[in-house]
Amino acid sequence: MAKRKNVLPGFSLSLGYTLVYLSLIVLIPLAAAFIKTTELSWHEFWAVVTAPRVVASYKLTFGASLIAALINAVFGLLTAWVLVRYSFPGKKIIDALVDLPFALPTAVAGIALTAVYSANGWIGSIIEPLGIKVAFTPLGVIVALTCIGLPFVVRTVQPVLEDLEAETEEAAASLGANRFQSFTKIILPAIWPALLTGFALAFARAIGEYGSVIFIAGNMPMVSEITPLIIITKLEQYDYAGATAVAVVMLGISFALLLLINALQWWTNHRLTASR
Amino acid sequence: MSIEIRNIQKNFNSFSALNNVSLDVPSGELVALLGPSGCGKTTLLRIIAGLETADNGSIHFHGNDTIHSNVRDRQVGFVFQHYALFRHMTVFENVAFGLRVRPRKTRPSENEIQRRVHELLELVQLDWLADRYPPQLSGGQRQRIALARALAVEPKVLLLDEPFGALDAKVRKDLRRWLRRLHDELHITSVFVTHDQEEALEVADRIVVMNHGKVEQMGSPQEVYDKPASPFVYQFLGNVNLFHSRVNEGKTHIGDIEVEIESFKETQNSPALAYVRPHDIDIQKELNGQKPAFSAIVSYIHSLGPLVRLELQRDDQFEIVEAEMTREKFLQLELSVGSKVYVHPRNVRVFLN
Repeated sequence: MAKRKNVLPGFSLSLGYTLVYLSLIVLIPLAAAFIKTTELSWHEFWAVVTAPRVVASYKLTFGASLIAALINAVFGLLTAWVLVRYSFPGKKIIDALVDLPFALPTAVAGIALTAVYSANGWIGSIIEPLGIKVAFTPLGVIVALTCIGLPFVVRTVQPVLEDLEAETEEAAASLGANRFQSFTKIILPAIWPALLTGFALAFARAIGEYGSVIFIAGNMPMVSEITPLIIITKLEQYDYAGATAVAVVMLGISFALLLLINALQWWTNHRLTASR
Repeated sequence: MSIEIRNIQKNFNSFSALNNVSLDVPSGELVALLGPSGCGKTTLLRIIAGLETADNGSIHFHGNDTIHSNVRDRQVGFVFQHYALFRHMTVFENVAFGLRVRPRKTRPSENEIQRRVHELLELVQLDWLADRYPPQLSGGQRQRIALARALAVEPKVLLLDEPFGALDAKVRKDLRRWLRRLHDELHITSVFVTHDQEEALEVADRIVVMNHGKVEQMGSPQEVYDKPASPFVYQFLGNVNLFHSRVNEGKTHIGDIEVEIESFKETQNSPALAYVRPHDIDIQKELNGQKPAFSAIVSYIHSLGPLVRLELQRDDQFEIVEAEMTREKFLQLELSVGSKVYVHPRNVRVFLN
């Protein structure tokens, strides 16, 4: 095969570096988890990963993450919209606040949320008499996951919203579209890929979240116990093979879901840019 | 539908974009708002469309006040300089947009929408692009689609903001002739903004020349070109030679020569600006005594194209005079750089200073 000339230099070097880097940081550790799992027989593996308590934790982790990511998609979009479209005093501060969940140690977020939402906290003391219990319930898990996922949606949607041409909205208005129609038919399709990316990031982050959840969740088996906690618990009992077995299942599901979202993204992007 | 614009005032902070602008756009005419960038022409167009609100003044569409009607309800078609097409929609859907967003009661049936959109695409001669996306089209095609989209809602008024500004010279020429023909077919009251005097003179029924947020002059292209109301209009509509002089009892001096100006018989020794277009500069090799002329040296010859452009260095002053002549005349005169010539200005236009 004739050597193909590439205009950009250093292709083989940079690809080689990328592969080595990815192997060391991602692939080899993950492969180790799979190998460790093989210490279990197929039956043992199945018994561990389908234990009722473990299955309940999958449902909670993935369900709560999905709900949290959906909430973030809606309110993150709203936050980005407000930050891009309007100017008001304190805008810079709010803009900076959005990044706080990135920087904060997740345990701090967890403790703060627990303090505020528990029965004698500021918010908890108001809503608990109304029959809404947040701390130490699955609802608390959702609250914690929403908190840590917010910046992802805001930060992916914001630049796209900033780049949106005001003229296309004016064109829509001059053609008789009302505000709702301009939003759904013009703005939303334009920011949809970014919104989907933000959603995927928030979702992925929520699935892997541990620190902030364990404080507010209460960690009751079958009710508010997340999968990462199950893994930690198994590790603390020196059940390494069992821990990795659950980890492998989680990895598989996460990978499948992210692949699905990526496919969806590729499809919308493809439709949008249609061989430009 | 006619448009009556009265005393429009618009300020952006301390900058006065429009200063007491009044004008009438007669029904069915194609009117050009012409002026340099920053003169307020686009702002005026956007106020007519309802995309911007005036601080003061009123705009009536066919006698009806538009002050309380939103851009959605004004039934104006607006064409943007950079097309503003919806890039995630096909050409067909772009054109159909205005029909699809109508309330259910007035929305045409799907068949009717299909028919209307294809009719419009045929009108702009781009029916074969119906399934493409805007990024796949050339600039000229995009602007024609934008026009079809604006026409789809059957606007009472068509407003175009520098519609050919982003296109290259050749396409721009084709498209503006095409727009003129389209307007002759449709007779929809249209206002277009341009900073290109050639474009305005060629396309418009009527030209409104603007400067610094004010209307300098309005009239037919012929009127505006032949009888400019102010030095600004004269200068803006083509190349000029400017001579600082004085007017006294109907006479002005340009260099050594005296020119009669009929309209300033009464004027007593007043400073004035005298303008002559380059093609009104008559050049001779010999002084023949019939016409007053001053002498000059040819300092530069630009001989590309059908017209030859000369720069002449006046003997009496350090001023350059620009002249234009046909290639034929140029060859007849056998001029070269350094030739001594005699210059006779025709059609001198004088404005008192």
